[in-house]
Amino acid sequence: MSETQAFSNEFYSALLPEMLLFAGLIALILIPNLGKGTFRIPGTQLRLPWFLGGQRFGLTSNPRLPAWIATITLAGAFAAVLDSLNGGVESLLVVSSDSDAAKELLMVNGFSRVFELIFFGALALASFASMNRLKVEGTGGKLTEDQLFNNRRQADFYILMLTCGLGMSVVALAQDLFVLFIGLELASFSTYVLVAFMKESKTGSEAGMKYFIVGSVASGVGLYGLSMLYLWSGSLQFDALALAFAETGTEPLPLIGIGFVLVGFGFKVSAAPFHFAAPDAYAGASSPVAGVLATASKAMGMVGLIRMLLIVAAPESSDGSAVWLVAIGALAALTMTWGNIAALGSTNPKRMLAYSSVAHAGYMLAGLTAIGAWTWDPSFAGQEGEAALLVMTALMFHLLVLVAFKLGAFLVLSILENDGDSSRLSSLGGLAKREPLLAFAMFIFMISLAGVPPMAGFLSKLMVIMGIVNVGVGSGINSFGDLHWVWWLALLMVLNSAISVFYYLRVAVVMFFEAPEKGREGPLPSGWQVRASIFICVAATILLGVFGDSVLEMCRDAAESLTTKW
Amino acid sequence: MQLVGFPVVAGIVLLAFVANAKKSAHEKLNNPIRMASFAFSLVLFGYTTAMFFNSFANITTDGVAFNNYTFHDSYEWFPALGIHWTVGLDALSFPMVWLTTFLLPVTIIATWHEKNGATYFPTLLLMGGALIGVFVSLDLFMFYVFWELTLIPMFFLILNWGGKDRKYASQKFFIYTFTASVVMLLGLVTLYLMQPDQIGTGGKYGTMTGRTFDIPTLVESATLANQDGWFMGESMQKVLFVMLMLGFLVKLPAVPFHTWLPDAHVQAPTGGSMLLAGVMLKMGAYGMFRLPLSMFPHALQHFQLALMIFGMVSLVWGAIVCLGQTNLKKMVAYSSVSHMGVILIGIATMQPMGWAAALFMMFAHGIISPMLFAVCGAFKHHYHSMEIGAMRGMAKHSPWLATSMMFAWMASLGLPLLAGFVAELMMLIALWYFIDLEGWSVLWMIGPALVLALTAAYYLWSMQRTIFEGGDETQPPATLHGDPVPDITNEEKIAMLILAAFTILFGVMPWIGLDMMDDYCRTFFEHMISNGIFKGGA
Repeated sequence: MSETQAFSNEFYSALLPEMLLFAGLIALILIPNLGKGTFRIPGTQLRLPWFLGGQRFGLTSNPRLPAWIATITLAGAFAAVLDSLNGGVESLLVVSSDSDAAKELLMVNGFSRVFELIFFGALALASFASMNRLKVEGTGGKLTEDQLFNNRRQADFYILMLTCGLGMSVVALAQDLFVLFIGLELASFSTYVLVAFMKESKTGSEAGMKYFIVGSVASGVGLYGLSMLYLWSGSLQFDALALAFAETGTEPLPLIGIGFVLVGFGFKVSAAPFHFAAPDAYAGASSPVAGVLATASKAMGMVGLIRMLLIVAAPESSDGSAVWLVAIGALAALTMTWGNIAALGSTNPKRMLAYSSVAHAGYMLAGLTAIGAWTWDPSFAGQEGEAALLVMTALMFHLLVLVAFKLGAFLVLSILENDGDSSRLSSLGGLAKREPLLAFAMFIFMISLAGVPPMAGFLSKLMVIMGIVNVGVGSGINSFGDLHWVWWLALLMVLNSAISVFYYLRVAVVMFFEAPEKGREGPLPSGWQVRASIFICVAATILLGVFGDSVLEMCRDAAESLTTKW
Repeated sequence: MQLVGFPVVAGIVLLAFVANAKKSAHEKLNNPIRMASFAFSLVLFGYTTAMFFNSFANITTDGVAFNNYTFHDSYEWFPALGIHWTVGLDALSFPMVWLTTFLLPVTIIATWHEKNGATYFPTLLLMGGALIGVFVSLDLFMFYVFWELTLIPMFFLILNWGGKDRKYASQKFFIYTFTASVVMLLGLVTLYLMQPDQIGTGGKYGTMTGRTFDIPTLVESATLANQDGWFMGESMQKVLFVMLMLGFLVKLPAVPFHTWLPDAHVQAPTGGSMLLAGVMLKMGAYGMFRLPLSMFPHALQHFQLALMIFGMVSLVWGAIVCLGQTNLKKMVAYSSVSHMGVILIGIATMQPMGWAAALFMMFAHGIISPMLFAVCGAFKHHYHSMEIGAMRGMAKHSPWLATSMMFAWMASLGLPLLAGFVAELMMLIALWYFIDLEGWSVLWMIGPALVLALTAAYYLWSMQRTIFEGGDETQPPATLHGDPVPDITNEEKIAMLILAAFTILFGVMPWIGLDMMDDYCRTFFEHMISNGIFKGGA
């Protein structure tokens, strides 16, 4: 592991994806404003062209331009991350530049890289697909003021997409709780606005408001917890916190502080009982944005949970399991069951997907619980992290492939939204007749969500189960009664998967065997960008399920870069 | 080897068919697709038949020894988790593979004229590919993957071409069997991770997990461990046995897990029913032999009584419910439940002969029950009604259908010289022997004896009411609205004749298939006894 100061050359080259995003952000602000603007030298009639403002050029007035800039930037950042992942990542620690008391700020390693991959991949697909979701009111000729405004706000949407990505990657990189929190808020505020962006629909602003209020309460509680942690240890560095926790972690103050911080992250991953805003937000937001909430934003929350639970309040390696074990285990059980049962009853496909995303959060929390329990079997001693490695790999792989099929499902809904709305199950009716390939894609996404082989969702869920069972059975255990209780979480998880099949299959049945709603028999709205995104999602869902080995290895390496901390 | 080509080629070519058919769902494509599917299934059938004559017909006892496989081959897939697609055939799986490839062309012939559209026949082939995959895979993971994969084509077969309540039936079918199999999956994963960690060994062991999914390896180490103690420990073995058996009992299905079956069967199209009853139910019994019985013999001994009760209840309950059915297809579906009880009893006797009876029952029922469903399908297809009592004296109008029905019904109730009789007789002998040996009460014989009578009763009664009764005053089904009563088509006749011929063939010369099954079961038990796992026996 090498070390560098902030704003050194190494810093820039290691943070190339973020720098790309930053450049894209500036381009997004500047380029749509380029025009025939002039600048009159005061006191003269001399007008110097200064290209900012005024009547826009043909290219820069194109309302599609921001979308392209954002998509290319995000895809470029994705490619940069992929490139650096290729052949292993050298860990690089970024420290602050004051030489006497250098603080650890960011850490570039396999772990953060894989999460960047998740964030940028999801955002790139979402912004590419949003080209068809956000209406553009004509490009040439005379436009009314409303139409002009509508075209102008395209840039705002994609600027928010980029800031969201920037904030998320800061969360993945952060080595300091405060840096992490800044990234979290940057991403959160972007998503609050993105959720409310659909001002044409009433539900959009309502959803945005709800999401904002609940989200800021959660953030506020988290921040309060943060301040308690600072009060207790005098530092917000993960390393310092972890050290302090090993000494006095069982005192009430740090425990309450960590509990409050967990509320903030629990909201992000939409773990029950902090999930109440999620279904409303997902249902009100435009579908690509809802897809981002369900994938990238959830992954961001998971990073926070992993940092807090596994790095700061790390499981003790010699005696006993993590202090939070029972609490998170109960939360996992509650979350997956609640999510699935609520999804059973929801007839709005987007709410259904929101609840299914709650259930998936429960599966991932179960995985985290297993990591917290891995020290229960004394035979694991000496190979710290061995058992946790499998779960960690599974979690990262799950978050990665979730982008393919969860976002894909939302993108299919986004086409239907353009067609009218997608707030009833029946709006999916007859999809197989209206556009067979789309119905096929949705079917693939649904069975992948349900965990039917050979889709990626099966492999990732299997990996999580395997991780949990691996910890649960320990080694050399011969009696069923001696198994650790996390094994029962695995049982609950498979039973929940079985419940979930019901509502996923219902979607398939409606698509294939029910007539379209009245007036919606015709072909679906066109738009090749969203279809291309869906195609990428389908291909990833199938290919990662069948040939996922190299990606699995990648996640393993990434998980190793985290677990070697222990 | 060539064998792997089977499901792979099946899968790929069929998928291409489906994709092809989807693009242009024209009526025009119907016939070429049907012909192509038929030709392809014939090739598959020819291939397995050739395999039989080349390898299995003259196989010696050594060749079918326990945990010994022909055409054994392995392909690396997920080395990180130790997943290899290992394939192989033995006397347990080969009859099932042959049966699948035999039923595919027959099913296509029997449903030749059903207007099902161009995607129907490729879906049947896909179903066949997935089924073959289940039987040839010797890797826990791949076994499970194919196990679940069979659900998807069957779900669509029922949903797309099924009867009036097809939505309910297909979802119930999917959810019911999926729930059971995820519990089984957890059992498989637990079994996988309970192995000692051999990380760094490479080969069949995962580079990340240090465990293997390879069934032959697992069975080998299980046998070793079972010699002096319980593989995986006593309570763990029991729990794993129960978890795996749950998946298989639901698939089989055994009472009280059988309720999905009548719904699925009644709503499924004829072709779907034929494959469902012919092969898919046997996946349950096959899985029992392949995994829990091979790996957890101690637990089997422990749960012997429970299995016997499950078997007896299925046998008797299925038969009693049959008596009350007014729908031909539902009756046949419940008779399947009853016959699956025979398999369970055969397994529960823990005698080589009982197991051979179970294996042969799987095979014989796989030929007879498609014929039963083909007959039901013909009723549905031509008379638009399967109600017993909606028609009378059909023998006069449609002698071919009546004869086929009579033959199939007789075969199913165990008429001597037909395939079903052999299996039932063997089961009865094994049960007697077992009762005698273990000193169980003779009352255990009441169940099978009662069912012999009940089976005859419901089959004969339904036949009497449908095709014979009425004398000169026959009553064509009202659903025909006075139209002339048709007999079955030539294609259906051919399918019936083929099925009947094989029923007779395996009834008169059962040793063709029975020899290797018998050898398999004998070597299985010799192996277990010589390793001190079973106490001894016949």
